Amino acid sequence: MNDQWTDRLSEYVDGELANGERVALEAHLATCAPCRGAVAELRQVVARARSLEDRAPQTDLWSGVAKRIGAGQVVDIRSRRFSFNVPQLIAACIALVLLSGGGTWVALHKTSVATDTTFTSQADSTKWVPVAVWSGRTDAAIADLQEALRRNESRLDTSTVRVVRENLALIDRAIAQARTALAADSGNAYLNLHLADTMRRKLELLRRVNAIASAQS
Amino acid sequence: MLTTIAAAVLATLAPMQGETDTTIAVPAGASLSVNNFGGAIVIHTWTQNRVKVHAEHGSRGSIEASLVGTTLTIKAGSRHGSPSVVDFDITVPVEMALNLSGTYTEIEVNGSKAAITAETVDGSIDVRGGSGNVILNSIQGSVTLADATGRIEVNSINESVELSNVSGQIKAETTNGDVTLWGIKSSSVEATTINGDVEYEGTVTDAGTYTFNSHNGDIQISIPEGANMTLTVATANGDIDASFPLPFRGTREKHRYTFKLGTGSARMEAESFQGDIELRRPAEMREHQREKEKEKEKDKDHEMEQEEP
Repeated sequence: MNDQWTDRLSEYVDGELANGERVALEAHLATCAPCRGAVAELRQVVARARSLEDRAPQTDLWSGVAKRIGAGQVVDIRSRRFSFNVPQLIAACIALVLLSGGGTWVALHKTSVATDTTFTSQADSTKWVPVAVWSGRTDAAIADLQEALRRNESRLDTSTVRVVRENLALIDRAIAQARTALAADSGNAYLNLHLADTMRRKLELLRRVNAIASAQS
Repeated sequence: MLTTIAAAVLATLAPMQGETDTTIAVPAGASLSVNNFGGAIVIHTWTQNRVKVHAEHGSRGSIEASLVGTTLTIKAGSRHGSPSVVDFDITVPVEMALNLSGTYTEIEVNGSKAAITAETVDGSIDVRGGSGNVILNSIQGSVTLADATGRIEVNSINESVELSNVSGQIKAETTNGDVTLWGIKSSSVEATTINGDVEYEGTVTDAGTYTFNSHNGDIQISIPEGANMTLTVATANGDIDASFPLPFRGTREKHRYTFKLGTGSARMEAESFQGDIELRRPAEMREHQREKEKEKEKDKDHEMEQEEP
């Protein structure tokens, strides 16, 4: 799996790459089975997400917010058409997190992302995917990177180790808060996205610090 | 092959009382790589095709310079093998690409018009200038970038990140600190932190994408009058406040609201789990900035008064 292209696959699927980049990526796809698998997975997620139904909010806080921002007209959301619905957002975000986590997984286990995704089968359902299910693989990738960091820590200065641990604890608290909020409202798009993004941040921090520690040897 | 060998220069520069001074001619389009375990790397620019190196180090320290192809590599050495602390002051051609790295190293760049990569573990990075890929990473230090253009990636972990007068594709991220973006001209901005505030003052370009995210901090964004944007704001435990009427013509979900301004062309997302989302006009943001600077000055004065006997 080529890290350079891993980060661009979503743009490719969305048709957002410039012509030159698209041609280069397609040339790469011709020789890279894991990237081809990841693209296929992403396309499945997007296609499946389009078929999912919208869900109305469980609690309406709009009136308070409208008062605060001075909004006048309130429109019934059910009469609106959205370019993205809530499950789509969650599915897309889960895909991104797992791609990021999957990249780590590949690096650690020399296996392919195509065999490392749980979200596709989960996205086949129109019901909400439990957090524990879609976050499981990312949790595993995080655990592996934390173990790698534990082995690498001796290469870093003690003050750096302390700072990294403090920041990981900071992210862990954020993850715990997001999980608690999700436990009370599991279908909330914002909370799902926020948890996924916060977990991604932890993965990236661990990956970055491990890279620096490895370079210190 | 012969050309490559002929172009290779390898020298251990002799120190003089803990200081080294040398000037090396470089071909047009050359790049500079500096690795310094501890101390400082300060870069200035000029219009000559030469690199002038001034280094201050211990009497046992040494400086190694090699020019292979078009890459000039400078690093600190030590006669006893252990890494030494060196303060580099280097003047380079203004369009020379820079690759600067260190561990306990402060990095400063002034006036570059080239690609810059800078990475340190325990030290701040302060860059004025840069063009093309500008990638700045520190673990424990703050990162400041001004007057740059291109594809910008700025990261810290434990300190703040600050960009001013920067244009291009921008990604700014920290874990424990504020992200402040001022005078930005961009159609692609991503600014995130876990524990800190995010401020954005800059353009909102049609078809652009803007993402601002914090877990514990507030998000304050300047929305220019007449901006065409689809704005999504979300907070789990904070408030959403705008200093101007926001016509609600979009969608709402629990914790998350979408507004369409004008044609809705640009996409902007502002999300904070614990903090507030504040939407302001540019003039208000500038006033807010002036007040913050005044407060900083007051704090400095107060600190100085306390330090004086």
